[in-house]
Amino acid sequence: MRRTSLLLLMVALITSLMVLNGCPKKQEPVTPPPAPVETTKPEVKPEPEQPKQPEAKPELREEQLQTVYFDFDKYNLRPDAKSSLDANFALLQQYSNVIIKIEGHCDERGTVEYNLSLGEKRAKSVMDYLTGLGVSASRVTIVSYGKERPLDAGHNETAWAKNRRAEFRVVSQ
Amino acid sequence: MKTKQLIFLSMLLVVSNVSAQDENIRNIPFDTIRTGEVRPRTIAVEDMKYVGTNHITKEDTAFMRAATGVVQSDIEFASDFELTEIDSFYIRKYEIKEMDALAWNRLGADYLVRLEAEFMGANMRVRWRLTDTKREQEIGKGMVENSGSRWREIGHDIANDIVRTLTGDRGIFRTRIAYCKKIGKGKEICIADFDGSNEQQITFNGSINISPCWTPDGREVYYTTFVDGPAHIYKVDITTRKTTRIAAFTGINAAPAVSPDGTKLACVLSKDGNSEIYVLDLSGRMIKRVTISKAIESGPTWSPDSRLIAFTSDRTGSPQIYTSDADGINTKRLTFEGRYNDSPIWSLRGTRVTFVSRTPDGRFDLASIDTSGNNPHLMTGFGQNENPHFSPDGKHIVFASTRLGGSDIFVMDASGRNQRRITTSGVCSNPTWGPYR
Repeated sequence: MRRTSLLLLMVALITSLMVLNGCPKKQEPVTPPPAPVETTKPEVKPEPEQPKQPEAKPELREEQLQTVYFDFDKYNLRPDAKSSLDANFALLQQYSNVIIKIEGHCDERGTVEYNLSLGEKRAKSVMDYLTGLGVSASRVTIVSYGKERPLDAGHNETAWAKNRRAEFRVVSQ
Repeated sequence: MKTKQLIFLSMLLVVSNVSAQDENIRNIPFDTIRTGEVRPRTIAVEDMKYVGTNHITKEDTAFMRAATGVVQSDIEFASDFELTEIDSFYIRKYEIKEMDALAWNRLGADYLVRLEAEFMGANMRVRWRLTDTKREQEIGKGMVENSGSRWREIGHDIANDIVRTLTGDRGIFRTRIAYCKKIGKGKEICIADFDGSNEQQITFNGSINISPCWTPDGREVYYTTFVDGPAHIYKVDITTRKTTRIAAFTGINAAPAVSPDGTKLACVLSKDGNSEIYVLDLSGRMIKRVTISKAIESGPTWSPDSRLIAFTSDRTGSPQIYTSDADGINTKRLTFEGRYNDSPIWSLRGTRVTFVSRTPDGRFDLASIDTSGNNPHLMTGFGQNENPHFSPDGKHIVFASTRLGGSDIFVMDASGRNQRRITTSGVCSNPTWGPYR
């Protein structure tokens, strides 16, 4: 792991999604990534007991995979997105049985139909980057939700920046 | 006197080519700014009178009042007409019991509608008479009968008859719109009367359902749904609520558009690598791939003669409107102004395309352009506006707007006048106008 300061924070609220909070990148991104949701109360949960298989192999948690963000009406990967994906790639190498699904999302501007296609382009950019690094294509699927599943319901650039994203789901491992 | 509530009188921005305009005036279709220069004729609708001999119930009186209200609001809605309200001050001051046609004429009414009701069992029978107030001459009459509790239909049918008598055109007052509504965590397809009343939910899967599109017979609605995970195209029978899966190729299956002749379905599929326009038959069998490009193609819509397709493509780096023959040849770019033009819909006469354009101040607004690519202009001038769709007579546009906070459905005359909100829940979007009924 190249990244030494990986900070995991779980937002353990009912409706909230898990957000991985990466530390600032060493390189200078052209467009700064949107500030992810800060959480002030990282809940340290005791590891739940696994009565059946106490010696189970450690599993990749979905929130370890970083969400990547995009510019308005764009599906090319920004430098900050690429470094997030490099980190994700390392994890996928480490957990080599994991099968993932990449979800492409958009902000609320523009039509439902166009955003559905744009979200797919975003997911595909991410998939292409990862397979380019060497992840087997059979481990990756994509889906687009267009602008239907915003992370932030706000109507301003802060909210929009959070919503233009590609998220990772662990399908199986 | 006139109570038409203009939410906002459109500000019209003519972007192009003033010199070419005079030439085009003769061919101006309805959905241009010039519609507003014709003074709409005004119609007075008197309160419905009971002319039977039996005692009538309070409920019957309420039905009569409600049906009158429907006729009045329909006339007010019609872009060709305005409603002359009864001037109660005038009537009280002069203790007028009965206004004759000439008196109405002095109050500015070109036409007068008189309504007379009788009750036969549960049925209400209404006779209407239409009078030209200037000539004091009856120019039309008719009779509508239905169960009294169906006073909406009675009122709409009378208004349709009046519009047909005066213009020769079918009225739209029995038409419905379909749209998406946030319900729980999902978005379901709903239908309602053109004025927003009688809302009914027609999908119930708890998932996200978007992009409703009516079949020309008005019996089914095609839509995009995430009920299976990825976006698939389904249809729902609006009476039985039975759903049928139409397209479930790998990738996106979205943006269904049934052709006006009811034989073909244009849609977006990404099965061949990225979003392209395809034409299927109505049951989902492949007929033809229309576009071939590495860019996003989206939002197909048919010309009124079902021969051409307009769609959005970002093949030049920004979303712009293109038209093409339905078999994919003769593609031409229609919009050149602005960096974001999307969501095209053809006008009824096929001479103009209305679409959504991102304005220099960052709003999304409705705009309209000739199919020749000339005379683009913005249409509402206010708030964020999306998903324009024409009424079957081409005289009105329904659209979604967040101008008042939440997302609601609005309608306006095709010229941009008379913008009004028809849903108030703040969670409605993506409207399409159904066919004549």
